Amino acid sequence: MTGRAAATRRKSGWRGGVWARWDGGPRAYRQRMITLRGLTKRFGATVAVDALTVDVAPGRVTGFLGPNGAGKSTTMRMILGLDRPTAGQALIGGRAYRELRRPLHEVGALLDARAIHPARSGRAHLLAMAHSNGIPARRVDEVLGAVGLDGRAAAKPGRTLSLGMGQRLGIAGALLGDPPVLMFDEPVNGLDPDGVRWVRQLMRSLADQGRTVFVSSHLMSEMQLTADQLVVIGRGRLLADAPIGDVIAGSAVAVRVRSPHPDGLATLAARLAATGATVEPVGTDELTVTGSTVDRVGDLAYELGVRLHELSPHGASLEQAFMELTAGSVEYAGGPTGSGAR
Amino acid sequence: MSTDTMPTTRPALFRGAVAAEWTKLFSVRTTWWTALAGLLLTAASAGQLAIYAANANTNDDPADDRGIVTVGSVLIDSVELTQYAVLALGLLAITAEFTSGTIRTTLQCTPSRGRVLLAKAVVAGTVTFALGLLLGGVGVLVARPVLGDWGSAPTADTIGDIVAVATYLALVGVLALGLAAALRSAVLTLTVLFATLMIVPLSLQEPDIEVLNRIADVFPGVAGGHFLAGDAEPYPGWVGLLLLAGWAGAALVLGRAALRRRDA
Repeated sequence: MTGRAAATRRKSGWRGGVWARWDGGPRAYRQRMITLRGLTKRFGATVAVDALTVDVAPGRVTGFLGPNGAGKSTTMRMILGLDRPTAGQALIGGRAYRELRRPLHEVGALLDARAIHPARSGRAHLLAMAHSNGIPARRVDEVLGAVGLDGRAAAKPGRTLSLGMGQRLGIAGALLGDPPVLMFDEPVNGLDPDGVRWVRQLMRSLADQGRTVFVSSHLMSEMQLTADQLVVIGRGRLLADAPIGDVIAGSAVAVRVRSPHPDGLATLAARLAATGATVEPVGTDELTVTGSTVDRVGDLAYELGVRLHELSPHGASLEQAFMELTAGSVEYAGGPTGSGAR
Repeated sequence: MSTDTMPTTRPALFRGAVAAEWTKLFSVRTTWWTALAGLLLTAASAGQLAIYAANANTNDDPADDRGIVTVGSVLIDSVELTQYAVLALGLLAITAEFTSGTIRTTLQCTPSRGRVLLAKAVVAGTVTFALGLLLGGVGVLVARPVLGDWGSAPTADTIGDIVAVATYLALVGVLALGLAAALRSAVLTLTVLFATLMIVPLSLQEPDIEVLNRIADVFPGVAGGHFLAGDAEPYPGWVGLLLLAGWAGAALVLGRAALRRRDA
């Protein structure tokens, strides 16, 4: 075997009609990193993205969370070279997107499921994408099959596609070049429960294959089920970049204490307050304690000999962690009618 | 990182971009409707101009060849109107991307703005040239019998006129594309084109002042007109062709600059 053939075998490429990937080594790992360095975008006086410095690593699902208008989509557009950063840089494997020659083989992205020509069929849309990056036409049918769009759905003009079908088509486009880095902006919008579960499994399996998966969502509960790592932003600023468990654990946990003995409960409340915890009575038989832990409250109750009917952590969800993190950074506060958010 | 064993040379990348644009253009029905509109406009316009030419002729004797016009000249006059249907093909190739949001997909696939625009120009130019040949043929077929005795159709000249019309339409199509890439809106582009091709030069020529006439001669529509008519004055036809090509090239440069600078 010649040296050239050996080198070719180690590289990814179309072989026997299949896109064969060569994975491995620290170099390949770095090549799959998304690195944001002081990434900033201003629109006039408005700062949409404010000095974001984040590494998005391969092999896991990184959730990108933030309230509406926080700058998630703008950040993703800057990574894809669509918006020009005002300052800082966004790199993929150390290179700017605009330098990539056949980008679909390196980064796949779903930005806007509605972005398809109203009269063009989904299949033609993907076919044009494939042509531009030298991807064989049969790969189009492969990804259409992979996202569950049959021939009839793929032949329909863009305007007749439901939002859910648009999402599937967009995901098919992202998968087209079998890229090691994938980005999805709100991919479960408009999907039915089956579709949501499918996207969840897809993200998981893509990350398990060693790919970088960067998913934005406003659905905290969805992220709790899918993401390994969380990047939380509010008003363009980085609020958290940590494993999902840490983000949840870091949030203030309330402890609910219920006892049939009002006197004992009052004693417990006084002792807890003395340790610096905030205690809020709920009726005569219940307390809500913040600034303490279930363990400490339980120990104290045992010491004081107070009989408890309930001792439970409370509200330790990503939802709450998120609300705490983004409090004060929500662009539009909800009014009394709750119609504030865009 | 080049994990790709496919060729990534510039020509290969450009061929890919052209194939993508070709697929996009022919996967929407608008393209065919626009071509059909161009055909009907040409037939109607060439027919009407031929009727005028025949009716306006005060010379009663066809044997006396004064007053006989060539079919090609009727065709060339009809382009004044039909060009707007054809240049719509050029500008829709990019404004449709702005309105539907697919420009982001296009730039994701081909991040080089220049390559995208040049690929669109090649496709738009090729298609409008081919359509121009077809329109020229149809215009001649309609005008010839209407002109009757008052028309002549020397084969070589007529073919030359048809090719010239196709060349003119291809360049105007590319001009429309480049301008649309910079202006982003189909309506705005069409308005600017209408002004540049017709209104402004006509207004300049109206007072018949030497300086203003010379300025009007540089405008793309006027330059193209001199090229089509094969004029000797104020400059030879090929200079008109170069001027028009220069306008088309300048529009592409402008469009590329706008695509590079603006957020998609």
